[in-house]
Amino acid sequence: MTDFLKELCALNAVSGDEKAVRDYIISKIDGKADWHTDNLGNILVFKKGKKRSVKKLLIDAHMDEVGFIISSVTADGFLKFQTVGGINTAAIMFRQVKIGNVNGVVCGTPIHLLSGDEKKKLPKSDSLYIDIGAESREEALKLVSLGDRAVMCSEYREMGNKIKAKAIDDRAGCAILLSLITNDSDYDFYASFSVQEEVGLRGAKTAAFAADPDAAIVLEATTAADIADVDETHRVCVLGNGPAVSFMDRATVYDREYYRAALESGIKCQPKSAVAGGNNSGAIHLSRGGVRTVAISVPCRYIHSSSCVADKEDIKNAERLAKYMLAGICGGTVK
Amino acid sequence: MDIKDILFDLSALDSIGYLHFAADYAEKVLSRFAKTERLGGSVTGTIKGNSDYTIMLDAHIDQVGMIVTDVDSEGFLTVAPSGGIDIRALPSREVTVHGRKNIPAVFCSTPPHLSSGETVYDDINKIKLDTGLGKNAADIVSPGDYVTFSALPVSLSGDLVSGRSFDDRAGVACLLKTAEMLSGKDLPCNVVFLFSDAEELGMRGAVTAAFSTAPDEAVAVDVSFGNGIGIPPEECGKLKGGAMIGFAPTLDSAVSKKLTKIAEDNGIKYQTEVMGGRTGTNADVIGVSGSGVKTCTVSIPLRNMHTEVETLSISDLESVCNLLYGYILSGGVRND
Repeated sequence: MTDFLKELCALNAVSGDEKAVRDYIISKIDGKADWHTDNLGNILVFKKGKKRSVKKLLIDAHMDEVGFIISSVTADGFLKFQTVGGINTAAIMFRQVKIGNVNGVVCGTPIHLLSGDEKKKLPKSDSLYIDIGAESREEALKLVSLGDRAVMCSEYREMGNKIKAKAIDDRAGCAILLSLITNDSDYDFYASFSVQEEVGLRGAKTAAFAADPDAAIVLEATTAADIADVDETHRVCVLGNGPAVSFMDRATVYDREYYRAALESGIKCQPKSAVAGGNNSGAIHLSRGGVRTVAISVPCRYIHSSSCVADKEDIKNAERLAKYMLAGICGGTVK
Repeated sequence: MDIKDILFDLSALDSIGYLHFAADYAEKVLSRFAKTERLGGSVTGTIKGNSDYTIMLDAHIDQVGMIVTDVDSEGFLTVAPSGGIDIRALPSREVTVHGRKNIPAVFCSTPPHLSSGETVYDDINKIKLDTGLGKNAADIVSPGDYVTFSALPVSLSGDLVSGRSFDDRAGVACLLKTAEMLSGKDLPCNVVFLFSDAEELGMRGAVTAAFSTAPDEAVAVDVSFGNGIGIPPEECGKLKGGAMIGFAPTLDSAVSKKLTKIAEDNGIKYQTEVMGGRTGTNADVIGVSGSGVKTCTVSIPLRNMHTEVETLSISDLESVCNLLYGYILSGGVRND
């Protein structure tokens, strides 16, 4: 599972351009489960288990990540972009980026040339540009096209018992789901590797419609604010305390019994202690006539930046909890 | 030697405070062409000529970074800038902490649910650095350890390159290349190459090194603001526009004019950089060293100064090398 995560984080798949991650996942699940892709690019999977399931379960993880889309080019060859998904301007300024195989940097005015107040405030993201070294619009358009996606560059690194990488949201979920599919399962289940989560939970909507499940587990990464100068009541979740289980966020009121069952599983986990954020549960729990849904999220510091930080043990516990919920829902022990 | 290779090698090495890896590398390369000497964190190298007249070529070897001032019990560090840092761009940036071993770390960024309104970035003490090591951080990191940007250099299209510490490893790379070009030539004067330490902390290395070497003339080779987004074109140099020759009240105008003539006569691309007083480079302190040194600046246009995506054109480095080479062969302004 750790190898999956490392390899998945290295791939670039900004919303709507998930091909690299999709191809990787298909290469891993082919032969281990039935799969097909739908019109949006979701991968829909049926994993045959040793036993039949009492409920039709869908497990979802999204393939896409936040990034940029090139929207125009200036006469002197700088690329203008829009952010895809929510990204703080501080995370963008003066970063190395890649547009396909083309290297670029997000450029700006050097600190020496800013006046007192300008030095203290971030510029608006629409005043930032990517420099690819082109001297004119024509030269730039030989290398990139409008609509191309860009990502911030970031290597996968270990920081003690933690890891640092881009796109842990939601390659962590993809890695766990890959592990569930590529290993033997006790029960039949359905899975979706979905597209376009970061731009409004769009892939999950069609995936859930197609799968038509009774119950769903959403594997995610969620914001952890257990950082310096943030008091305990505002930390949302804490790295090292296990995956976060949601009771409510801005998109979903979660199934109460599943939430309780997860917390009482005996596997190290924590309630997500804020009504904040949202994930594919928002689309899935409202699919067709409604789907009982539980979200299991890996706590992640600096989410939506090039330097997401997560705890290795939390990711393993998220997989354990997902297996526990899968067995409980499909076997009928979790009512 | 390929100047881009030298620049990329130098960019990947750290010279800040007590770390001297870039200086060690530069000394090793320079020693192939000149008689080198260490002056603290600075490096000098001399190629003898046919007179006792000495021209010094300077580029600073140090870089901007940060220094650890506190390690807390949860593994978060407080840092102070060492040189001018844009603290607005720190949140979520990965850096290297040079503790008992080198470790990666990430600057904290405030999640959206905790930020209300516009954040004011006025205090680096509020932007903690996350080592991810919890209470074990104190075993590896102590106050006084340096923190540096960690991005490796990359090539953009054309001949543009981008990376950290190009300020002023670009100057150092030019001097190393110039030393190679001058090596074995019959020179009308002595040349002293100086890779000076601690420019970013107030040109301290150049103060002592210029005094020790006591040249007759000096050229400070540093980076200057290049054209890009958010800079009026009349206030900066142009990438691919060639070497920027300095004119300023603090500089020797005969040297400025001679450099311009050399560029004109040899078809070397150049542009003029006019400054109203001090130059903000080592030229400011070298000029008033000892009983005075005729000093000028030659600058390399560079975008995004003091970030890890400092961007420049290799062609401008080549212009600088050709200009310095021609200037040394001319013997400077001694007989003008």
